[in-house]
Amino acid sequence: MRAARIVLAVLGVLVLAFGAYTMVETVRPNRIGGLATWLIAAVVLHDAILSPFVVLVGLGLRRAGRALRTWVLVVVQAAVVLGSVLALVVLPEIAAKAHGAKNPTVVPFDYTTRLLLVEGALLVVVVAVLVIGWVTARRRPDRPLVEPTTSS
Amino acid sequence: MRGALHEARSAMASPNRNARSAVVLGRLLGIAFLVCFGTGLYSHFLQDPLPWMRFPTRPTQLYQFTQGLHITAGIAIIPLLLAKLNTVMPALAQDPPVRGVLHLLERVSIAVFVSAAIVQVGTGLVNTYQWYPWPFPFRQVHYALSYVLIGSLAIHIAAKLRVIARYWRARDAYDADGRFVYDGRVGSELPEYAAEARLASATYPRGITGRVMRWADGATAGAPGAPGAESRLGGQDAPSDARGVSAQPSLADGTEPSRASRPDRQPRAARRERVARRGFFAGIAAATAGVVVLTVGQSSKAGEPFNVFAPRQRHRGPNDLPVNRTARAAGVLATATAADWTLTVVGPAVTRTFSRAELVALGMTVVDLPISCVEGWSQMGTWKGVRMRDLLEAVQADPASEVRVTSLERHGGYRIMDMGAEYASDPTTLVALELNGGTLDLDHGFPARIIAPGRPGVLQTKWIERIEVRS
Repeated sequence: MRAARIVLAVLGVLVLAFGAYTMVETVRPNRIGGLATWLIAAVVLHDAILSPFVVLVGLGLRRAGRALRTWVLVVVQAAVVLGSVLALVVLPEIAAKAHGAKNPTVVPFDYTTRLLLVEGALLVVVVAVLVIGWVTARRRPDRPLVEPTTSS
Repeated sequence: MRGALHEARSAMASPNRNARSAVVLGRLLGIAFLVCFGTGLYSHFLQDPLPWMRFPTRPTQLYQFTQGLHITAGIAIIPLLLAKLNTVMPALAQDPPVRGVLHLLERVSIAVFVSAAIVQVGTGLVNTYQWYPWPFPFRQVHYALSYVLIGSLAIHIAAKLRVIARYWRARDAYDADGRFVYDGRVGSELPEYAAEARLASATYPRGITGRVMRWADGATAGAPGAPGAESRLGGQDAPSDARGVSAQPSLADGTEPSRASRPDRQPRAARRERVARRGFFAGIAAATAGVVVLTVGQSSKAGEPFNVFAPRQRHRGPNDLPVNRTARAAGVLATATAADWTLTVVGPAVTRTFSRAELVALGMTVVDLPISCVEGWSQMGTWKGVRMRDLLEAVQADPASEVRVTSLERHGGYRIMDMGAEYASDPTTLVALELNGGTLDLDHGFPARIIAPGRPGVLQTKWIERIEVRS
């Protein structure tokens, strides 16, 4: 274990150093400054903005999840995660299209409409699942609801 | 400061955020990173080969496969990376923040790893949209950053190897009830999650965080011990401080996980944790499958009907094929349509020029070869043209020669393209004049272009004017 760790760490440092060397060899210094800004901004954006937001959403789902059946909660949660990731992937694509595609075969679709349709479909699924969960819960009141859960 | 760290840490504690989840996601992510690294290097060296390098020309769809995999794996990394970062989030707020020089170096290497991964995947994605809103050159940075990323991945695995080994198998990570077995000895920086203790109001932090978490758990409503009332009365006293600390990993306890004091709570707590974990992984699976299925149609026939969000659609474009660089963008509108266009072929002894009609007279061959773009999209095409080897023989050159092809393009990194002997001599490598049953469209390289097996689209040079034998 110890030997494997040392070998991995040394190998990692060497590969990383080669990457840094390649970077300064092929990219002009003023451009590296721009890259450094992006690298730092990436961590700050994730750790200081996205993470707290996700924690809050998770707490909200945990609260909402107390009153939901297991499968309802799982479906709702999966829909929220899928919807968020799709938005994250497609919003830059919408921006790229707005910025102007180089020819009509690049980003050819109407991504705004398509994203809204897919998010709308996910919303319909969420509402349908909540309604079904609520109706079946009323029909069989003897069955216990799901316990409080943690989510996300 | 310490109070804030502890509050953040307990707000982030959850049954999903344990070392086993980190290992499971880390494995998937590690595989995806290595796939991207390997396919990326292959693509890089196809374009910038070292002098001794030769490449396979069969299967002809090899590059279509490797580059499609590169982009698809890269897209799959997005939800996996977010899930992994989410899982290890409490490690961000560890106390003390730095335990020594080695620990500081490890945290720095993780910062490098995370930022390199986010920038690499984010810019890679936006690059497939052909949009470059950053102040650095994409190709060079993407290449250099890949070594930084893989290097810091190796360092990360080295640092976490004991945790990885400890939680590699599910049966070592969960007890008979399906509850996570916390083991403080292997150095995991994720806190132990103690839901049942929390319901008994034992571990809620003070202040806003505690209130929010009690609200989320509904602890004020029904939990025994009425923690809501208690916190208002006794929340500020010394014992509550001790509670905050008890949420921390208890190194002194060693392997024995601290469990609920009430046995009747255990099955319910175990069930809650299982539901939370499965819900978490169901969400990741849905997101990963979702982004992949809705975009993979740009490079896979099976995915075509589900192509909702890919930046390319197969069969959309002139000659039934998408276009990357137009004739206008390349500045060849006049030169490529000139009536006196000829192709010059320079052999070691003989130089000949061919008009389009003379090329046709040499004898045409039909081949099916894919166009595979570095940006991930690809499509099979039916090409008709003169074999490169026939052209080389026409100038009395060895068919197995290295050649240099020059385009009419005024500028651009791919105006001059070098082709190894393995491609020049291949019977499917053509100077193509027709595509998918029609004359080559101006945007696809009219009057003539190169098509060779297993090479990136940028090397399938369009609007060619000169072929030169180099060896």
